[in-house]
Amino acid sequence: MKQPLIRAESVSFDYVVNRNDVIPVLRDVSFSIYPGEYVAIIGHNGSGKSTLAKHLNGILKPIAGNVFVNGLNTKEDKYRRSIRQQVGMVFQHPDNQIVATIVEDDVAFGLENIGVPGEEMKERIDFALDAVGMSTYRNRPPHHLSGGQKQRIAIAGIIAMRPQCLVLDEATGMLDAYGRRDILRVVRKLHREGMTIVTVTHHMSEAAEADRVLVIESGRIVMEGTPREIFQQQEMLHQLQLDVPEASRMARLIHDQVPAFQSGLISQQEMIDEVRRLSGIRGADAG
Amino acid sequence: MAAHEFELTRNITIGQYLPTGSFIHRIDPRIKIVAFTVLVAAIAVCDTYAGNIIALSFVCLLFRLSRIPVGYGLSGVKPAMPFIVILAVLQLLFYGEVASGGTVYLKYGVIIITSESIRLVIVSALRFIEIIFVSSVLTLSTSTTQLTHGMASLLKPLKHVKFPVHELSLIITIAIRFVPTFAMEMEKMMKAQASRGAQFGQSAWWKIVERTKDMFPLIIPLFHVAMNRAEDLVLAMEARCYTPGGERTSYRKLRARPGDYLVLLFCLLFSLFLIWFPY
Amino acid sequence: MEKGLTVRKIVIAGVLGAVAILLGVTRLGFIPVPTAAGNATIMHVPAVIGGIVQGPVVGLIIGLIFGVSSFLNATIPLFKDPLVAILPRLFIGVTAYLTYAGFKRVSEFAAIGVAGFVGSITNTILVLTMAVIRGYLAPGVAVTVAVTNGLPEAVVSVIVTLAVVVSWKKLGNAGKKKSKISGDF
Ligand SMILES: Nc1ncnc2c1ncn2[C@@H]1O[C@H](COP(=O)(O)OP(=O)(O)OP(=O)(O)O)[C@@H](O)[C@H]1O
Ligand SMILES: [Mg+2]
Repeated sequence: MKQPLIRAESVSFDYVVNRNDVIPVLRDVSFSIYPGEYVAIIGHNGSGKSTLAKHLNGILKPIAGNVFVNGLNTKEDKYRRSIRQQVGMVFQHPDNQIVATIVEDDVAFGLENIGVPGEEMKERIDFALDAVGMSTYRNRPPHHLSGGQKQRIAIAGIIAMRPQCLVLDEATGMLDAYGRRDILRVVRKLHREGMTIVTVTHHMSEAAEADRVLVIESGRIVMEGTPREIFQQQEMLHQLQLDVPEASRMARLIHDQVPAFQSGLISQQEMIDEVRRLSGIRGADAG
Repeated sequence: MAAHEFELTRNITIGQYLPTGSFIHRIDPRIKIVAFTVLVAAIAVCDTYAGNIIALSFVCLLFRLSRIPVGYGLSGVKPAMPFIVILAVLQLLFYGEVASGGTVYLKYGVIIITSESIRLVIVSALRFIEIIFVSSVLTLSTSTTQLTHGMASLLKPLKHVKFPVHELSLIITIAIRFVPTFAMEMEKMMKAQASRGAQFGQSAWWKIVERTKDMFPLIIPLFHVAMNRAEDLVLAMEARCYTPGGERTSYRKLRARPGDYLVLLFCLLFSLFLIWFPY
Repeated sequence: MEKGLTVRKIVIAGVLGAVAILLGVTRLGFIPVPTAAGNATIMHVPAVIGGIVQGPVVGLIIGLIFGVSSFLNATIPLFKDPLVAILPRLFIGVTAYLTYAGFKRVSEFAAIGVAGFVGSITNTILVLTMAVIRGYLAPGVAVTVAVTNGLPEAVVSVIVTLAVVVSWKKLGNAGKKKSKISGDF
């Protein structure tokens, strides 16, 4: 098998608030993320997802254990820039990630930091803005953009740096349905083009799109598998205060009434296909 | 602030850039900043009638050249008129002793009016108008982004004495970036609190304590919002490889053309003329 | 910690600078005491807070932003003079920091409160001194303004500074405790 892009080995982490206030968060977490993978991390509020995500690019460093990015240990300061260039991160709040007063300057910010020469910068900015569908907004000030658009600018700022992996920490968390759809579309496209994606999310339908799902509870990985494997264990998830995608719940419901209807479905498309299969209707695009 | 004024905050701009495409707009921002500074300094020093009249005509000419309606400059002066008048009266009545030169026109108790104090009053009013006009031309013809880049570029030599030039310009950029964001946040808070029955500035104007107390529920959360956002932004910047004091390249390149230097030369000469002008 | 500008210092200077500008342009930070020098304001409080939480350099930079913005937005002649509008403002955050550092050992709360007071008074005294030197105000008027504007400003400054800094530093049992993540290279 390929070398893992990110490898976490027995990572533990505590937040130290002050001398007599230590909040333990991660406990002995190990996992690997391989190039080109799409991994979703789910877990209820406070389970440690964001803390884990911040370990992937060395913003936080393990108290015990190690995280390697392409073999580079995040604990070593001399690799910091290289690691952060390889693993880009988009956060939840659209407004708190944009630094500059003009969209294209903001996309340039990361490039300036990693020392990309002026001529190449223009090219990369064009590419990144185009990839997120925001080329026409390049001279706008950020406060003229919607939440979803700001989030796309944040993504552009990251992908201009040509990372191998994009980590999204609830990047759709503050967006409405339209904003979310736009972001998911961009993420899907990047993944198709070979980008490794790690997404932290509370939307199970988003997790269902991943290749693999990690479930976190009190700082430990308690479940791991394909979305189908995970979302089949509805009771277990329920105990972890987690939901299943809408589609899964519906499929279950129908399966209980109509046993011929499969129960392990996780996406809208699968639902539609299953209905077609059972009713013998073949859509124009299904052939 | 009455309820219908909520919407005002949305349209805040610092410096109201007015792109008319004139040649003044196209001058390298660094040149404009230097020329501006020199002019303001000269105006501040020049204290003769004639000098100030010449300076006033010059700044009016600047409006023409930058194709910006003089109304924009006047609108900056208008709200100041009451103050100019009050100040003028105060200076006229009580400044006679300090500016004691010249002919004494009137002396009544502590009130002394001399030709010197009259000159002081007129010159400081003119000066004020001139400075408002020059700064209007600068901010109307140069976007804030350009101004910041220009500033940063001008200060670059200070890097050699460990002065954090880039950091300072980043700070200013962040400040400008967040003004409209906080304004919208503020608006949201006002609406939320108004819907819970809070009133802002509804108390009569003489109830200073009341009105002051009214603002705490707004101002303190505003600071909290700012400080919390700061924590997020720190992480986002670090995630994008930002290291203070690190070597960086820069996307915006400023280029001054020969014509720009001519403008600068002219402004320098004009300023010297204002300073040494004998009348 | 005191080794030049950290990311956190840069960002806090930026956002507090934004607050200073905002308080000025929206007139939200105005205390309505009409006098010869205009309204009393709390626009200097961001500089005070910046100085206390991130040190003198940050305080000075916020003061600079406040000064420049009050210079650009000035509607009264007094503040169209950079020597009055900008120069005195540089010291607000610095004196606030020095006061805080000096009194910290006595009591954290007292130090913050006194720093809020001193920072505000610095603004009042330096601006008015400069105004007298530059000939905008007669000394007698300046003293009156120092009392009518300076005192309310100082009181408000103490209250706001205490409220903001105490909760930022998570002093007392403020409930949700958070550690500041990294930021210091
Ligand atoms: N900076 C911090 N200082 C101290 N404790 C923190 C800090 N950040 C998070 N915590 C605590 O660590 C635990 C895990 O937080 P984390 O943000 O990783 O959870 P999460 O799974 O991302 O939650 P959410 O779904 O709400 O985003 C929580 O108990 C939280 O209160
Ligand atoms: Mg989180």
